[in-house]
Amino acid sequence: MPLSGAQWSPTPDRVGVTDIITAGGGRTVGAPPSVRRLNWAWLGLVPFFAFLSLFLVVPAVSVFSGALKDNDGQFSFDSMRAAFTGQNLDAFWFSVRFSAGSALVGVVIGTLLAYAAATATRPRWLRNLVTSFSGVAANMGGLPLAFAFLTLLGKQGVLTKVLKEAGWDLYGGTFGLGEVPGLIVVYSYFQIPLMVLITLPAIDGLKQSWREACANLGGTTWTYWRRVGLPVLAPSLLGGFLLLFANSFSAYATARILTQKSSIVPLRIAFYLGGDVNAGEDAVGFALAAWMIIIMVVCMSIYWVARRRAERWRS
Amino acid sequence: MTTLDFISVRKTFGSNVALEGLDLDVREGELITLLGPSGCGKTTALRIAAGFEFADSGAVLVAGGDITRTPAHKRNMGMVFQSYSLFPNLTVAKNVEFGLRTRGVPSNQRLHRVAEMLDLVQLTSFADRYPHQISGGQAQRVALARALAVQPRVLLLDEPLSALDAKVRTTLRDEIRRIQTEVGITTLFVTHDQEEALAISDRICVMSQGRVEQLGSPTEVYRNPSTAFVARFVGSMNEFDAQVTGPSEVTVAGQRIGAPGVASAPVGSPVTILVRPEDLSLTNDGLPGTVTSVTFQGATTLVGVRLDVLDHLVSADVGKGAADHLELGSRVAVGINGSNAVCEPVTVGGPIAVDEPVA
Amino acid sequence: MTDHIVHVLPELEGPPTAPTVTSPRPVGKPRTRFARLVPNTVIIVCGLFFMLPLLTLARFSLQNVPTILLGSSTLFKKWSLSGLTKAFSAPGFGEALTLSLQLAAGTVVLTLGLLLPTAIWVHMRLPRARSLIEFLTVLPYMIPAIALVAGIFVIKPHARWFLNSDFSLVPFYVVLALPFTYRSLDAGLRAIDLRTLVDASRSLGAGWLTTLRTVIVPNLRTSIISASFLTAAVVIGEFTIADTLLKETLPRFQATYVGREPQAGYGLNLLALLLTVGLFVALSVLTKKRDRKGASFALRMKKSMKSGLETTP
Repeated sequence: MPLSGAQWSPTPDRVGVTDIITAGGGRTVGAPPSVRRLNWAWLGLVPFFAFLSLFLVVPAVSVFSGALKDNDGQFSFDSMRAAFTGQNLDAFWFSVRFSAGSALVGVVIGTLLAYAAATATRPRWLRNLVTSFSGVAANMGGLPLAFAFLTLLGKQGVLTKVLKEAGWDLYGGTFGLGEVPGLIVVYSYFQIPLMVLITLPAIDGLKQSWREACANLGGTTWTYWRRVGLPVLAPSLLGGFLLLFANSFSAYATARILTQKSSIVPLRIAFYLGGDVNAGEDAVGFALAAWMIIIMVVCMSIYWVARRRAERWRS
Repeated sequence: MTTLDFISVRKTFGSNVALEGLDLDVREGELITLLGPSGCGKTTALRIAAGFEFADSGAVLVAGGDITRTPAHKRNMGMVFQSYSLFPNLTVAKNVEFGLRTRGVPSNQRLHRVAEMLDLVQLTSFADRYPHQISGGQAQRVALARALAVQPRVLLLDEPLSALDAKVRTTLRDEIRRIQTEVGITTLFVTHDQEEALAISDRICVMSQGRVEQLGSPTEVYRNPSTAFVARFVGSMNEFDAQVTGPSEVTVAGQRIGAPGVASAPVGSPVTILVRPEDLSLTNDGLPGTVTSVTFQGATTLVGVRLDVLDHLVSADVGKGAADHLELGSRVAVGINGSNAVCEPVTVGGPIAVDEPVA
Repeated sequence: MTDHIVHVLPELEGPPTAPTVTSPRPVGKPRTRFARLVPNTVIIVCGLFFMLPLLTLARFSLQNVPTILLGSSTLFKKWSLSGLTKAFSAPGFGEALTLSLQLAAGTVVLTLGLLLPTAIWVHMRLPRARSLIEFLTVLPYMIPAIALVAGIFVIKPHARWFLNSDFSLVPFYVVLALPFTYRSLDAGLRAIDLRTLVDASRSLGAGWLTTLRTVIVPNLRTSIISASFLTAAVVIGEFTIADTLLKETLPRFQATYVGREPQAGYGLNLLALLLTVGLFVALSVLTKKRDRKGASFALRMKKSMKSGLETTP
């Protein structure tokens, strides 16, 4: 029987409140321990809170303070509105379109790939291979990815050349790696693996016994997916879509390499920040960033809720 | 006649033979339990009946009709799984209704039937709850209701109680039996818990390594185990090395014991005899030993004794009073009643303790 | 978000789960080869999609033949490693690489120094703060890098002395990496049942510092390694903030050098990619081995303590 004989005694270096806490309650010293305990313990989080405030909260709030000013520095919604006009509106629309498209592609193909990997029994290493690769690929967005696609599908790309010789001139129309279809293709490179990573646990959570119970009760494969499988997966799929959308919307580096135009919101923000704008107009840049934060908050909140839902059913 | 028949069903997984030619006839309205340790093939047999596995050879018949190759969703059988097979996105009522919907039963009939089923398992007030909001025992009752809602020909239960707490297990086990008898459905029940099997079955099919060891009523299986495996698996057994010294007699550590079970063994051959704890008693002239444990069980007391001669631990299940004054270390003498003993010939090469009769 | 790492840590999401979970398979029909046809096709097609860009990048970096001239006759000509190594001698490369490595080191140190005590504190003293902290660590997801930079620009006039230094990037990188570094440490703490270990250690007479040093940190080795490697990968690949704040880090160099020397520039990017991949591979190798050791040790300790309390004498 462990520990029964050992007498617990406070170590000589610390006496007082700390001992009360680690003893797990039971002894009171003066004021009710719950009040004392909480007050003191929260102090330990001060460094963390201070750091976050300084380097995350302050910049975030500053975005809004910078956005809610007009040319004279007075409080106004002008900039926030201006962020939705002209080229900025085009940028929003562009961003939304290609983010939704890339999210959709990611969700569909990612789920299929996740399902394929999850149900693979031979060879056994296939699932691990897909998982490991996804773990790496999900993070390969950025410069190397952009350059890699330039060598594949760029104007001088290998695949472009092959397709041309096969009769399909890729650049004959409006296609470009910096356009919506092109960006969708490139972004799929990390969107699909990201979806695989999030969805694999959800697919694993689909119990074999549900499948069998459904068959037992007279349902076909189609019945299963329609009435049990997809509904159970739905929160994960929705959450995945939102995460991918947010991921795509906020990406900067890849697009920076692929296109010279400031056609997406992050690039337009950079354009405004670059300083090549009229004085006072930089508030519009902040407004763009502010709108971006709002969109991200909405997306991530819904994602959070969807994930909670999904987890509840998985237990 | 909703009977279920296995005819020489054989199934292998790779190099592993899960079932070696299973022959079993389940009569109408009967509850047969497939009992055995893991790997004995009981679950495989059940899954073949359900259609989740397909036999390599042999046939499965329901009411005389061959369903060996019928896909699972066309077999019209009810199944209760070991755990948590309720669809999590549907309420209890909608779960129970599931099979009815796939069969296209009209809505008002469905509602009526669901209410009937929930009443049968006594969970009417839980109709709108979700699976994650009910306990394990309640979930299994819902699973039962769901399986029975479609009025299947056969009910299959795959260790439905294994994942539950002990107390819930006993109550639910009796519930299942009650409902099964009430509805009168032919049932195949799989478990590794012999207590469960003894409690609720009409007949028990004890299996080991893909073969049927014995098929009989609970009483038969317990009192007259036909093989040593059955004897050991069902209930507990004490084992003694002995030598056959007469037509129905063995000698254990110098004591002669009458044992009808050894009738067929040649005189002089070494055997192992298996004796139930309740067939051991604390007498004055038995094998001497020291008490190592005394476990009060209510109606009886289980006494653990280390026998001097054989350095052997045995359990004696003794009735009221016989063990009252015993403590650890007390000296007792253990008497063996061999009338129900099972005899197992010792295989060549095993170590044998051959005891000379005490002069 | 692609500019900093999005890493879902399935293997650290809680107590180690058996890796051999397989998902529901179709039932009720005899298994046919056809059933696997569609899934396998998906895997193969995806595999091709993921391999091709890397192959063409490698080709471009290693083969000095422009695409126009590429054909069956020229396919095997003019391959050399010079494309990769040319970048090393380029002016500015050494400084950019050094800066990035220094930033990575600094970020790792600051991350661990800030988060490890915080995570332990929350687990030991303030379990109520769990949800708040979890929410806070997700915040950086809601504030994408480019928006963070915009905020920095607003503050710039007031903090020029700070933002002028290249190392001002470090705290922002810590913030960027926060979601998964904290979760990594948190998951590691949850897996080792911190409270039991600390109670055991303290009841045997060890002080707080000793406990920290000999009990807690060794058991968190997996999480710490994981957090460090991921942070390093983030920093070495981070472009957005560095680009807008005009700090000459390695990714910035990667981007501008391509303009000067195309082939060498692409080659450098290939190397950077391989470096990131290498970090991940090293991470999974280090984590797999230790994960089992560390976790199983903690589990065994837990089991032995629990069974000690439960067995009847």
